[in-house]
Amino acid sequence: MYIIQTIINGLLLGGVYALLGVGMTMIFGIVKLTNLAHGEFIVLGAYLSVVLAPMLGIDPVLTLFVSVPLMFLAGFLLQYFLIGKAMKKGNEPALLVTFGLSIILQDVMLLIFSADAQHINTSYAVASIRIGELEISVLNIVLFIISISAITALSAFLKYTHTGRAIRATADDTDAAALTGVSVKKVYAIAMGISMASAALAGLCVGMKWTFYPSSGGSYLLIAFVVVVIGGLGSVPGTLIAGILFGMAQVIGGANYGLLISYIMLLIVLIVKPKGIFGK
Amino acid sequence: MIGKKLGQRDVVVLDSIPMLIICIALVFGLYLSCITGIASNNAMRYMIQIFLFITLGEMWNLLSGFAGMTSLGQQLYIGLAGYSVAVMTTKFHMGLGAGLAVGVLVSTIVALLLSLILFKMQGMYFSISTWVVAEAFATLFLSWKFVEQGSGMTIRVVPYPRIGEICILSLMICVVAMITVYCLLRTKVGLGLTAMRDDITAASAVGVNVFSHKLIVYLIAAVFTTLAGGIFFINKGIIYPENGFGISWTVSMIFIVTIGGTGTVGGPIVGAVIYVFLQEILARYPGWSNIILGIITILVILFLPTGIMGTLQKKLRFEIFSSKRFSFAKHK
Repeated sequence: MYIIQTIINGLLLGGVYALLGVGMTMIFGIVKLTNLAHGEFIVLGAYLSVVLAPMLGIDPVLTLFVSVPLMFLAGFLLQYFLIGKAMKKGNEPALLVTFGLSIILQDVMLLIFSADAQHINTSYAVASIRIGELEISVLNIVLFIISISAITALSAFLKYTHTGRAIRATADDTDAAALTGVSVKKVYAIAMGISMASAALAGLCVGMKWTFYPSSGGSYLLIAFVVVVIGGLGSVPGTLIAGILFGMAQVIGGANYGLLISYIMLLIVLIVKPKGIFGK
Repeated sequence: MIGKKLGQRDVVVLDSIPMLIICIALVFGLYLSCITGIASNNAMRYMIQIFLFITLGEMWNLLSGFAGMTSLGQQLYIGLAGYSVAVMTTKFHMGLGAGLAVGVLVSTIVALLLSLILFKMQGMYFSISTWVVAEAFATLFLSWKFVEQGSGMTIRVVPYPRIGEICILSLMICVVAMITVYCLLRTKVGLGLTAMRDDITAASAVGVNVFSHKLIVYLIAAVFTTLAGGIFFINKGIIYPENGFGISWTVSMIFIVTIGGTGTVGGPIVGAVIYVFLQEILARYPGWSNIILGIITILVILFLPTGIMGTLQKKLRFEIFSSKRFSFAKHK
């Protein structure tokens, strides 16, 4: 029974970890950029929900209708006017710009929200469902549903819409895509917008599950990295599988050894299959 | 035709005898001011920081700017150094020298083992893996009873070295590190490294042994980062897993090298001096320091992509500590 309980918990949490990674993998795969500010984007998303929920007097989950478009817009503008400019100068400068953004955002959030621990409270935070001997937290189910529907929606968007096709074409071959009339600059900006929108979702999820601080970005970034690299850069299904593996490791190993297990898992994957499980 | 071409890219490499004399005089002057006490304790506090950050910057620059191995995990060696010193002095009641020696030994072994894993990866994968390894060590030390877990360790030695002695030690390490980098870049290995950075496939096709080149650079960087890190913690007196293995070390290295000039030997010196003073000024505005550092980093990248030293060298057409083995000016 314990094993099944562990697997279920790991699976449910895995969705959240995959969601942390999915925004990052898009930027890796499409914009070919290592975004060191992604962790701060996630924390920013969490704070947005913290602020918006009491302000609008709604359930934290519903704040997504405001925070997701806001973050999309922010990502679009950021890529269009700043990161894109740095990318013209090469890979390293772009990486360093995102790094600069990450330390700026961290301190801005520290100034606005102070260093106190924050948590997004919900009425169902401690509720659970019992099935036989199994006990499943309602919160974990909500998180799993949010994560899986977001990832599915993103996959469908990339697969079936016109913009999605343009994005995939740009990811495969930038020059060829530009030749067929795709505005690469705009596609990159949209990709960054989607990435930040997913950070808003991920922020809400981690905020409901754990406490967070303005300085939490680094650890989320690291989790995102691990999940993304295990799954293979740029692969959305790979990220999902890797997220679930990561979730299992956390549940089995507990708070401290869970991380250690996943780091070792990452190194083993990299040695055996240096481009990740689903890497091309 | 050829003459005109040379004329346009006329670069004076300032590596002549006068330059050497200036450098020796400068180092000797700094040494004397530490040993005689001309420099106040406060001045020496800054000097220690500057010397050590120059060392760290030079090493990160060697890895990233010259060899194309952008590591986000050099803090691993700083943490190992700090803990080696702490363990040797507190648990085994040995001197600081023994602590540093053990630190170098441990770092070398770890670097050798890691090279087997890390060198299989390139670019982004390498950067991420180095960081993950450093974090893994942080997690390990956080739960390891022998090193007092998260409560950290103090470095206890009697008598504790005076600030002047620490200052001289950091000056020595800084000078040795710079000479090592300079000499390495002017050998065949240096040429191989820059070739690897620019195009790793092409470099290996023309006969550069990629693995051994990477290993040399990685080991040198590990050793000097260890020494600098060890002295940092001797100066500080206490170490925790979070500040030993923290990503903030890499943050400072990146800042120093970017501001100073990636791929120039003189760059990290400029970067380290600016960084140390900037931090001192920014300490007066708590909460704003990283915002300002971040804005400066972004502005420098957008408008001075080669850093202060790189831009100056291009504008004024000179190079100091150049890795070039010839000067165009001589051909005139």
